[in-house]
Amino acid sequence: MAEVSLQNISKSFGESQAVRNLTLTIRDGEFVVLLGPTGAGKTTTLRLIAGLEKPDTGRVTIGGQDMAGSAPAGRDVAFVFQQYSLYPHLTVYENLAFPLRSPARRLGADEIDRRVREVARMVRIDHKLENRSTRLSGGEMQRVAIGRALVRKPSIYLMDEPLSSLDAKLRGELRLELKRIQRELGSTLLYVTHDQIEAMTMADRIGILNDGELIQLGTPREIYSNPVNLHVAARLGQPHINLIPAGLVPGGRAPSGTKTVGARTEHLEIHAGNGSANAEIDWIEHLGDQSHLHLRIAGHKLVTLANPYVPVRPGDKITLTLKDPLYFGSDGQRLV
Amino acid sequence: MTLSHSSIVDKAAETAAKATPAPIAVRVRGLSDRAIAWLFIAPAISLLLAINIFPLLWAVYLSFTNYRANRPNAVVEGVGLRNYQRVLTDPDIWQAMQTTAHFVFWTILLQMLIGFALAYLIDRKFRGHAFWTTIVLIPMMLSPAVVGNFWRFLYEPQIGLFAYAVSFLSGIPTSQIQMLGNVSLAPWAIIVVDTWMWTPYVMLICLAGLRSIPDYIYEAAEVDRASAWRQFWSITVPMALPFIMLAVLFRGIENFKMFDMVTLLTGGGPGSVTEVASITLKREAFETWATGRSSAFAIVLFVAVFGLANIYVKALNKVKQR
Repeated sequence: MAEVSLQNISKSFGESQAVRNLTLTIRDGEFVVLLGPTGAGKTTTLRLIAGLEKPDTGRVTIGGQDMAGSAPAGRDVAFVFQQYSLYPHLTVYENLAFPLRSPARRLGADEIDRRVREVARMVRIDHKLENRSTRLSGGEMQRVAIGRALVRKPSIYLMDEPLSSLDAKLRGELRLELKRIQRELGSTLLYVTHDQIEAMTMADRIGILNDGELIQLGTPREIYSNPVNLHVAARLGQPHINLIPAGLVPGGRAPSGTKTVGARTEHLEIHAGNGSANAEIDWIEHLGDQSHLHLRIAGHKLVTLANPYVPVRPGDKITLTLKDPLYFGSDGQRLV
Repeated sequence: MTLSHSSIVDKAAETAAKATPAPIAVRVRGLSDRAIAWLFIAPAISLLLAINIFPLLWAVYLSFTNYRANRPNAVVEGVGLRNYQRVLTDPDIWQAMQTTAHFVFWTILLQMLIGFALAYLIDRKFRGHAFWTTIVLIPMMLSPAVVGNFWRFLYEPQIGLFAYAVSFLSGIPTSQIQMLGNVSLAPWAIIVVDTWMWTPYVMLICLAGLRSIPDYIYEAAEVDRASAWRQFWSITVPMALPFIMLAVLFRGIENFKMFDMVTLLTGGGPGSVTEVASITLKREAFETWATGRSSAFAIVLFVAVFGLANIYVKALNKVKQR
């Protein structure tokens, strides 16, 4: 395990700039998630650390050592790709043993066998060790791919949306397992995703990337409650944060210069309509444990969560007020 | 739900039927879908039957007779299995089979080695690789008749470029470089030409195989610290193997029937050292006019190729399923 640090990294592919002046340090034993939309430069960042791409400018250091000029094999990193990058003609056992059989490691057959079986148990694939890797389900394949990274005990694990091709149930299970394994091993892990739930549940710290730039880095709670700008605020939260013009909804204390108000469910208070009703319920989506209320206020549409037992019906008039929402200036930056 | 759906379809069909002019409707309604399908494929099937299946069955029939095509009026008698017995015990035919096997083995070996190596190089996407791919593919696009004729000129001891080049490099006088006239060199002369012509084809198939291997597998191996040598043997070769095997199958079947190139270059000579099975067959059929016996020989060849190909395809499927 080691600290990994990126200093002023930039990388472009032809005309398009994938990563802009990125500086980021992943502490020893830390689980950092890079969150951002497609094309934000997340995968490129991982590939730069692995040495699969060379930065145009800037430095990558692993355990304090400058990695410039060292090939992927010399970097002691493990990479889990988005696609199941298993060696298709090998068995699960052989796939797991593959990185250990590198002549650079000089491991004995007993040691290899011990580590393969240990990791297979950890990722719960030990009952299928002799299967061909192509004869597995998607979840099993991805567990093997993760296992192949784990046998190595490298300085850092790099994972590129490893769960994105799995169904929701399996994704939930593997999410928990990954976090458990990372805690057990105390490993340093950089994880890329566009799924905010994965980011919120697994990360020690989240880095929000957009257009190749690191916009904010912080604990999941910080990112959620104190976003630095509109973009970050919009990345997290379900339902999506409501962005409404200043002054539309009463309540709160907007600082001067406020252009947009960001209101999540916890920032909106609803009272049954009386004389002061200012909004109308448009539609209710019943999700079971909670309901999505679609509201309309002066031509603007808002979505908020509500207890399913709140006695409201579409068409009801209600009073809507703000409670400590987020305020943003005309440049999209947060105002406090 | 399904009921109401089908009733909508029925209604639409009824409307369409009513709108169809009466004479057409009568003709079309009389035919089932199946009959119409058969009508569409009938021309192709009848052509296939006429020029492929019928001659095959006719050859099977002839192989049990003493029919001679140059004596069409002679009485044709059944001879049982005698033709087959003679074919399978004739030392000349066995010699021809051995010559064929020799050709098939060496042409396939050379074409696979060179073809795969070329594909591996071209897959690297160096500068101008598209141009070089086209250049490499040219021999394959030429007609075998053209290739055979111009290699005969190249091999010509007095004026040929091949003899000149060998003589220039080795110092052996050109008059001694008799590629087509020398008993030990003639088989190799044909192997060289066939390899020159068909290696590009093998290269194309191998290239398709190499291109089918996703980059991320190599990247995963690189991160896993596999050397280039290990990547080649544990990723490239196994993943391209089904394609290589397919190329072997295609070239094997083709070269088992090799005729045009040998006829043009040596005609089976000198003596009979390059007389492959198809040449012997042609001699039996159209020089000796032993039509019955040559039919038996053709059937034997057909069964041999067909049987070998079948066994091979089974092996290929097993490799693919891994």
